[in-house]
Amino acid sequence: MATTAGRPPLWRDVRALAWAFQLLVVAAVVAVLWWLLDNYRTNTARQGIATNWDFLDQPAQFPIANSTFRQTQPVSDALVEGLLNTLRLSLTGIVLATVFGIILGVARLSQNFIIRAAARAYVEFVRNVPLLVLLVLLYIGVVQNAFPRVNDSWELGPIAVINVRGTNAIWYEGATWRAGVAVGVAVLAGLAVARYRQASADRTGRPARSGLWGLLVALVVLVGAWIALGLGVTTPELQGNRVFGGITMTPAYFASLLALVAYTASHIAEIVRGSIQAVPRGQGEAADALALSGFQRLWYVVLPQALRIGVPPIGNQYLNLAKNSSLAAVIAFPELTKVTQLTVATGSPPVPAYTVLLAIYLAISLLLSLVVNIVNRRLAIVER
Amino acid sequence: MRRALFRTLVPIAAIAIGASACSGDDDDGAPPPDSAAAPADSAAGGGAPDSVATDDSAAPDDSAAASSTTDSAQEVQTGESVLDRVKAAGTVKCGVRDDLTGFSTLDPATGDHVGFDADFCRAIAAAVLGDATKVTFVDVATENRFPALQSGEIDVLVRNTTWTASRDGKDAANFLHPTFYDGQQMMVAADSGFQSIDDMNGATVCVAAGTTTEGNVATEFAKRNLEVNVQSFADIDLVQEAFQSGSCDGWSSDGSQLASRRANYPDGPDSLVIFDDVFSKEPLTPAVADGDTAWAQAVEWAIYATINAEELGITKATAAADATGTDAAKVLFLGGKNPDGTTLDPGLGLPPDFANKVVSQVGNYGEIFEANLPAIGITERGLNALWSDGGLQYAPPYR
Repeated sequence: MATTAGRPPLWRDVRALAWAFQLLVVAAVVAVLWWLLDNYRTNTARQGIATNWDFLDQPAQFPIANSTFRQTQPVSDALVEGLLNTLRLSLTGIVLATVFGIILGVARLSQNFIIRAAARAYVEFVRNVPLLVLLVLLYIGVVQNAFPRVNDSWELGPIAVINVRGTNAIWYEGATWRAGVAVGVAVLAGLAVARYRQASADRTGRPARSGLWGLLVALVVLVGAWIALGLGVTTPELQGNRVFGGITMTPAYFASLLALVAYTASHIAEIVRGSIQAVPRGQGEAADALALSGFQRLWYVVLPQALRIGVPPIGNQYLNLAKNSSLAAVIAFPELTKVTQLTVATGSPPVPAYTVLLAIYLAISLLLSLVVNIVNRRLAIVER
Repeated sequence: MRRALFRTLVPIAAIAIGASACSGDDDDGAPPPDSAAAPADSAAGGGAPDSVATDDSAAPDDSAAASSTTDSAQEVQTGESVLDRVKAAGTVKCGVRDDLTGFSTLDPATGDHVGFDADFCRAIAAAVLGDATKVTFVDVATENRFPALQSGEIDVLVRNTTWTASRDGKDAANFLHPTFYDGQQMMVAADSGFQSIDDMNGATVCVAAGTTTEGNVATEFAKRNLEVNVQSFADIDLVQEAFQSGSCDGWSSDGSQLASRRANYPDGPDSLVIFDDVFSKEPLTPAVADGDTAWAQAVEWAIYATINAEELGITKATAAADATGTDAAKVLFLGGKNPDGTTLDPGLGLPPDFANKVVSQVGNYGEIFEANLPAIGITERGLNALWSDGGLQYAPPYR
């Protein structure tokens, strides 16, 4: 004791006190959580409400529109169906919101006053209304009341039939994996040709037209693979009061997608604008000095640098979009949240059911952020 | 990177641990039977901390220790009967809706809830508190109605809710006596050309989500070997919106709901047709939370009082006179003094004259029916006639 004369006693030792205080906080948090959990278990036991995962094997007892799901299938299958719908909505939304958002962000900085003002008006309007309001308005106002009734559907030849009950569009017919293989092979072939053209252009100095060549080759390969794999095409057709064939996009899906894309694009547009403005002015001036056209300047010089700055915040918008897709439950689009609500309404215990829901959303978000992080690391400018 | 991964994995692990803790030891032990739990619950009546010990028979042992350290607000949730809570609060929190004309809707003039279901809320308040106005109406969404009941947000659910086995069991609802025997039907536009469900192969049928109707439609069409596209909507207003915009060929729901909506349809009731086929049993029944026999009995007998009153021929107008009249059965039922000066108190935790309060303030079953339902096109009593008239409404005798 005496050897450490310089140290204060334990109760006045700042480090010891800090430790003790942190332990106390942790203990208090654990105690509160334990108390809540215990109340939950007591109350559920008293009312005979299940607190286990058995509900996942129970028959769902509700149908899901536009799916092959039968109501005698287990709740877990219903959740998978909901997850597929959530992924469909989120991934399509992410792609469209990115394209639309970049266009809008560039338009915000256009030299043309009308384009600039229109983009700004759009961004400021959409960004400043609640997404939920936008969604309900699009659903009830636009999709339900502006689209024609079935007997005066808009018929766009074999491409699509659009009416208030949904949109039927031309789609592939056959096994999904075959269609995936066909598209994958076509894209790879297109990319390879484009890269080859670019390489030979770099060598010879002749114009590459790599995009045009790539697209052409991809199309040819796609048609060839399509026939080789025995895939077909189904086209929508209006017969009386029903539309046969094609893929059906329900009004709820359409409205959800529209709202999510419109909303997220406005946020991405602001990120893109900020990122472009963060690219050093000298870069654009250098491009001008090389006599690049306005498009070349944007496409080859400014955007590649801007998007590097923008990847992390845009990734956050992707996460927001995936999470916001749960709002589609309000208009009864059968995504994960709605399906969970339905299973709870048909007898699944609420707390375990929503715990499963939470875990799935967490997994989706973490996977998405993992992808964004990898992309970010690959794109980051390596500074030496 | 590794640290970032670790940071993301920790919350998942925490959730997994928490979740497995929930499912831990309760799994195989059957939930305590209601009958065993209830006497202990009602005995704990006062909510004083020292009476908590009687909870031991109903709850796992560690919970008693936990609840004895908590304040009295928590006692309300774990021990006391809702009957005592309602009496102490002086109001019945009744879960209803505000969008179903005839059953429960807002009176445009006063803003009060009016209708068949609302009147049964009032009957319960009259029985328990002696005053039919002491009701706090709580509008609950279809999907929230059972959680609201479980959590005690509402004391009783009178919201045209079908009594099913899953709701009885999994949703921990305790259904009492059906106030309205209903069945699911199909409604179409009068100019649709459909004459019956058999004409509707491949039709789009719209229903409200989170109800028994969704599954019933699919089952009925499958039974008839017909294709159907069932579209669900968040609530009945959105179903109507969709129906009006031409999104649906058919609109399926409980017959009473369809009648109610048809009566108020913007294009007039004649623009819609309800098919006669009834393809499900929908006994619409008030419910309370499981595990509280005292409260369940009180609510149940408030409902029985309306039926027994009709059977005895006691109406809102005659109740006061009948209580002091010469008909011994009526006097007994209404809690009046019989010639020997005695009054029956069956020990339900209700005042002896609760039936008098119910009938004189709200009316008998027939009066409640006639006051609310003919206006929405339900003129026939049908299954809801008294058993003595060939219907199903039958209450146990009051003696």
